[in-house]
Amino acid sequence: MASRATAVWRDRRFVSLLVRRDLKVKYQQSVLGYAWSMLEPLALAGIYFFVFGILFSGGGARTAPGGPDAPGGYALFLLSGLLPWLWLSAALTDACKALITHAKLITTMKVPREIFPVAVVTTKFVEYLLTWPVLLVFVFALGGRTGWSLLWLPLVIVVQFVFTLGITLLLSAVNVLVRDVERIIRILNRVLFYSSPIIYPLHMVTQAGLPGWFTTAYELNPLVGIFQMHHAVWYPSEAPGLWPLVSTIGGAAVVFAVGYTVFRRLESAVLKEL
Amino acid sequence: MADPVGEAPKEAPVVIRADGLGVEFKAGRKRRRSLREFFIHGTRREPDHGAGYWPLRGVSFAIRKGECVGIVGRNGTGKSTLLKLIAGVLMPDEGTVTVDGRVAPLLELRAGFNDQLTGRENVHLVGSLHGMSGAMIERNFDAIVDFAGEGVRKDIDKPVRHYSSGMKVRLGFSLIAQLEHPIMLVDEVLAVGDKAFRKQCYEAIERMLENDRTMVLVSHNEGDLKRFCGRGLYIKDGGLALDAGIDAALDAYNADTRAEAEARTKRKKGGGGKAA
Repeated sequence: MASRATAVWRDRRFVSLLVRRDLKVKYQQSVLGYAWSMLEPLALAGIYFFVFGILFSGGGARTAPGGPDAPGGYALFLLSGLLPWLWLSAALTDACKALITHAKLITTMKVPREIFPVAVVTTKFVEYLLTWPVLLVFVFALGGRTGWSLLWLPLVIVVQFVFTLGITLLLSAVNVLVRDVERIIRILNRVLFYSSPIIYPLHMVTQAGLPGWFTTAYELNPLVGIFQMHHAVWYPSEAPGLWPLVSTIGGAAVVFAVGYTVFRRLESAVLKEL
Repeated sequence: MADPVGEAPKEAPVVIRADGLGVEFKAGRKRRRSLREFFIHGTRREPDHGAGYWPLRGVSFAIRKGECVGIVGRNGTGKSTLLKLIAGVLMPDEGTVTVDGRVAPLLELRAGFNDQLTGRENVHLVGSLHGMSGAMIERNFDAIVDFAGEGVRKDIDKPVRHYSSGMKVRLGFSLIAQLEHPIMLVDEVLAVGDKAFRKQCYEAIERMLENDRTMVLVSHNEGDLKRFCGRGLYIKDGGLALDAGIDAALDAYNADTRAEAEARTKRKKGGGGKAA
């Protein structure tokens, strides 16, 4: 495993080539390029704000950390969850195609096959970083505040990267052999979205009077801790405690280990199939 | 016929060594399974247990530096599979293959080209994927485009999706021809392109071989094989039937083909007689 890691590191140039190519193709195809990439998160945020911040205002806005008058309010809460969510969900969608779209390259050139999933996650990560200027505009406009809690950001990025890479490795290999995994991902995307505290604060689940086993199962999802950290940057009350933090980091590590092991075990079969 | 170019001295170091090489394809995996089948039958009921099909098995040979080896055999006998194993894009299920040095795979000349990007961007992208440095591509860029021909030169800044398939192949070949990798694997690519371009390709390959590079060539063209190769591997039914001079390998292959053709005519005649 160590030798493979060094091989990927040696060929990190490939990763950056693939990432730059994908971004180039994406932003070259339309004049609006960057504007398009911001359209989806902003439209989503607009919809959720309308539904949960205005229509069901008892559910979302008032229970957002600090209530409706907190700095940043529900709108910033939504955005700070939706932007990193789109990194994850876009990576999951592309994960299934990570190896298939490069079939010709993989069957003619000897490169470590891991670089393709790595490139998918990295591309989506760069796109996430590119949404930050827009997020900052909202932070200033809405009066969002941060401080030491900004330190959650580097940690959560590493954890989310590892977690996403694990799933991407798994899906990219499995989808070559069993093609309809792709369809399940669309459903899974929805399920993960609503079963993580992205558009609602965590305490709505923990204080909803649900049975204990349900809450425990809910909190086992590493995404809970990940989005708690994302929110904690602007709402320090959302910072995860030690135990949820450990379980999130551990969960991400397990997901990565499983994803990588499956990827390596299926590699030979995948090469024959491509 | 003139002496082939790729004749290596006996004491040259071995650069490609195959040892009991074998690869197994699952007979039941001809089509992709859906999840439904996967869950219903699991892995137990897959028909492949014991029923695997070996396109290649028990192949051993050693190729020395500077040699040019031709691989001959009928379609579907595992020639391309062998080349892929050497290239490292397929993993053997049995045995090992060790390759000493970087490999330039001329297996699929358009590999890695992105239709949305221009010819120039693609040269940079694919060149880098093959391990060329940015400076090296810059230095060789004109040579690459010149080699690819006038049509490509004119459209080098247009997206590759506007290229004809011939143009893409030309650009692909001229790019790979600039690689300085010591080992080249060539799979039928000489069959593409018009007459003039093929002549160019031949010259390029001869130039490369003169630089003491090693080449493995899969082809059905006896002229090509005799022109470049000193040695031939005759692959028959997934095994190495003969490892000898290229002429001997081709003779064995032709003899087998003739024998089979005769057997077929005989069978036909025999069958016809019975029916009558």
